Amino acid sequence: MKNNIKVERAIKGLTQEELANKVSVSRQTINAMEANKYTPSTVLAMKIAKVFSKSVEEIFILEKND
Amino acid sequence: MSSKLLLPNRFKGIGWFLFIPSTIVGIMISLTGFEARWLKTIVFAIFNDEMMGKSQSFSLIETNVTNTVVGILFIVGAVFVGFSKEKREDEFIAKLRLSSLLWAVWVNYVLLLLAFLFVYGTAFLTVMIYNMFTVMIIFIVRFNYIFHKNSKLV
Repeated sequence: MKNNIKVERAIKGLTQEELANKVSVSRQTINAMEANKYTPSTVLAMKIAKVFSKSVEEIFILEKND
Repeated sequence: MSSKLLLPNRFKGIGWFLFIPSTIVGIMISLTGFEARWLKTIVFAIFNDEMMGKSQSFSLIETNVTNTVVGILFIVGAVFVGFSKEKREDEFIAKLRLSSLLWAVWVNYVLLLLAFLFVYGTAFLTVMIYNMFTVMIIFIVRFNYIFHKNSKLV
């Protein structure tokens, strides 16, 4: 699964730290998701989508091998 | 991982303070066989046997406790470092902790298997001594390496 957290974050003008605080995770978690090294739980994915006021599918995109 | 099994974050600092010195001292002791004279004392032993003597159980014995002290400091330090919460515990860190544990057990037993195959005689005893501590060392190194790699801004 890929995501465009980094792009959405840039649009909103948020740093990794700020986004992390908004969804109550560590900055490392945001970093790992942006680098596609970590697939978040459903809860976290929905929280992130909420911060960007978008649907989950607009932020997280399934890939062929998923 | 249930956070009930984790210690509060403040233990992490104490852990590093114990873990690093005791690792270094432990390696030095294993290489030199050093025993501090002032650490000779009387202790309670559930079981004790001397190389050439008789064995004793549930008795007070006089022995040098250098290894005991360093070993205890290492175990306490390693457990504090390895099993304390991060400042901000979350799902990624919990997953990283578990995967690092699995990774450490794998690496540890691959190394031990190689030692079984290629190390013989009294040298194998040294391997066994190191092996008591390597799981925690590998786990701590792996966890912190990945954690700090993800701390760098991409």
